[in-house]
Amino acid sequence: MASQAPAHEEDSMDSFLDTFKSQKYKGGFNEATWEEEFDKIPMFMKKAPSEIDPEKNPDLACIQSLLFEGKSPEEQAKIYKDEGNDHFKEKEYKKAIAAYTEGLRKQCSNPDLNAILYTNRAAAEFYLGNYRSALNDVIAARKQKQDHLKAIVRGALCHLELKNFTEAIVWCDEGLRISSKEKKLLETRTKADRLRRAEQRDARKATVKAKQEQSQREALLQAIKDRNIKLIQQTCSEEEEVASDGITGLSLDELSSGNATAAKVYLDQKKNLHWPVLFLYPEYRQTDFVSAFHENSRFIDHLIMMFAEDLPPWDVERKYLPNELELYFEDEERAELHQVDVERSLLEVLQHRRYFVKAGTPTFLILVKHSPFCAQYFADKKVHRTA
Amino acid sequence: MDEGEATELLAFLSRDTRLDLKGQATEYILGLTGNAEGRRFLASRADFLQALVTLTSDLSLAIVKDSFHSLINLSADPAVHESLIRGTPLLLVLLKNLLDPKYMFADQICTLLSNLSREEDTCQQVFQAIQKEGIGLAKLVEILCTEGYNQNASLHYLAPFLSNLTQLPETRQFIVDRDRCVIQRLLPFIQYKGSTVRRGGVIAILRNCCFESSCHEWLLSDDVDLLAFLLLPLAGPEELSEEEMERLPLDLQYLPEDKKREDDPDIRKMLIEAIMLLTATKVGRQVVKEKGAYLILREFYSWEKEPDVRIACEKLIQVLIGDEPEAGMENLMEVTIPTAVEERLRSLDMEEQRSVKEEQMQRAVEALNEEQRTEQADKSVTEGLER
Repeated sequence: MASQAPAHEEDSMDSFLDTFKSQKYKGGFNEATWEEEFDKIPMFMKKAPSEIDPEKNPDLACIQSLLFEGKSPEEQAKIYKDEGNDHFKEKEYKKAIAAYTEGLRKQCSNPDLNAILYTNRAAAEFYLGNYRSALNDVIAARKQKQDHLKAIVRGALCHLELKNFTEAIVWCDEGLRISSKEKKLLETRTKADRLRRAEQRDARKATVKAKQEQSQREALLQAIKDRNIKLIQQTCSEEEEVASDGITGLSLDELSSGNATAAKVYLDQKKNLHWPVLFLYPEYRQTDFVSAFHENSRFIDHLIMMFAEDLPPWDVERKYLPNELELYFEDEERAELHQVDVERSLLEVLQHRRYFVKAGTPTFLILVKHSPFCAQYFADKKVHRTA
Repeated sequence: MDEGEATELLAFLSRDTRLDLKGQATEYILGLTGNAEGRRFLASRADFLQALVTLTSDLSLAIVKDSFHSLINLSADPAVHESLIRGTPLLLVLLKNLLDPKYMFADQICTLLSNLSREEDTCQQVFQAIQKEGIGLAKLVEILCTEGYNQNASLHYLAPFLSNLTQLPETRQFIVDRDRCVIQRLLPFIQYKGSTVRRGGVIAILRNCCFESSCHEWLLSDDVDLLAFLLLPLAGPEELSEEEMERLPLDLQYLPEDKKREDDPDIRKMLIEAIMLLTATKVGRQVVKEKGAYLILREFYSWEKEPDVRIACEKLIQVLIGDEPEAGMENLMEVTIPTAVEERLRSLDMEEQRSVKEEQMQRAVEALNEEQRTEQADKSVTEGLER
């Protein structure tokens, strides 16, 4: 910088300064917003903006263009690489990605530099959890430079994260061909191999389990079929039930009970069936649910258990006594009721020629003998009574 | 053949000879290599051997083929090894062409190298040639582990060649180098279905490495998990209880119903021998016991029919269910055995060999007479084993 200004400039400076004697200086900072304005001056900036907009920051844009002026694409790409690396060190991965991207946009002709830009961007993407993008970048890096070891290491790590264990091992082996003692590759390979084998085991286990379940279900269906118990399909509308076309049409769907407890019929070790059973009390609109009713137990045994000691709170008239109860099932197709002898076992009832198990859950109505509600309930229905 | 005839014959064994004459000459040489007298003659004639080596690069494939076959015949006779290795550039020619991924006679090369490396002193020379030519073991392992490396040759015999090299401690050290990934790359070939030769060769390599008792801990650690790989071919489809299953290494859990055991009895025996070697150290025994090897061997023993494999298995099971040796004898490889005991053991071994032979004979006779009786005989032995 010139130390002494020429005389005529000194004069004009004097006259310039003289003007402030009569008027106020206008180019100064606003007292209220001086801090913000201060920050916009490149020299005083505490932090450079991640993107330089020439509209908002004309000064900075000028300096930036000076920086790149007269430089080859390669040199410019290198500046962006360094900038990206600085961001990377600060763990500012998004900014680093932006810088590396700018560097790649220069399309310089140095494959090594491009490989580094791709690989470094891959690393930044990797730390943001974008393993796919990172992988694409290392693949691009290797197109520039096939044996770029850092790209191979990063690629192996990406595959590991993406759970492509076999691919991860292939990448490790490729890297180890270049550098046979690379620690990171040895570690990654061991890890990928272990995880792959664990995954294979899990798959084998799942197959075995599925097979076991399948054979259990088949045994269960066979047991139902052998007992001549009829299941009916539950249609989507739930209003209409279609009788299944005999036993052949049995499928597992018919055993899925719609209720929330998810109890299902099962076959025990001694080849006995246990059914979930629903009891309805139409008089009080109440229900009881037995989750596992042994097929050879009698209804009366359950009724005694349910009503002998504590009477249900809704039984305000205290009339639901085991010996006073009558049991019915409904033949929905014909809209008829069948009375059930409470001395009978569940199996015997299910084998009744008009009994159809709906939604995998046998359902029975319980009413009190000779009660007024009973008479009213049966008024317009056909009832088959026990002898 | 007198000197005059020999000189005349030698003159035909040159690249410039007319093809039909050359063909007759190489055919004649091939005939000579078929008998001991002919081989003795050739071993004494460095000029003939040199001519054969030169003709392996003849333009006529038929000549090359004959030359290779002659050399293979010669290499099968250890008496000729010195003359071949010291008197000709054979090793150099073989190793150079082995690396060529298109070389038509790479399989012949593998066979030759495998023959030449069988005896310890020539093996040492082959090893030195590999180092001197700058090929290195890493490259050989790399080729072995790259299926389809050579589009014109299978290279299966590379595995027995490498296994011959593992009689040298330098090779074993390289294979079990924990700063590289060598043994881990060989492990999958334990299951290689494409060739018994390659599979058997790899398993022989692994068994030989198990002599390195200082590496046992590492070989059995999660980094290598050698035991799981050695046990897998011995495991069958038998169902184990869930509790037993969970004790096994992951690779052995929930094997499919169609799981087959290794069908080559020699390979099965090598696998058992390898595991046996791993139990030579205290820490090795501990791991082999902990990982439930016994469960696999128990099932294996009741399946195995070959008497000598059964005996190997029995010995291993003894170690696994027996008491720990007394203090100071923990590393069975370092225990000094008194001469008297050693002699007694040797005579026991011989007796065992004899009984194995007898049993084999008897089995052959029985198999001819009645198959069922053999099965019963096997069952009665099984009962002696604790389940």
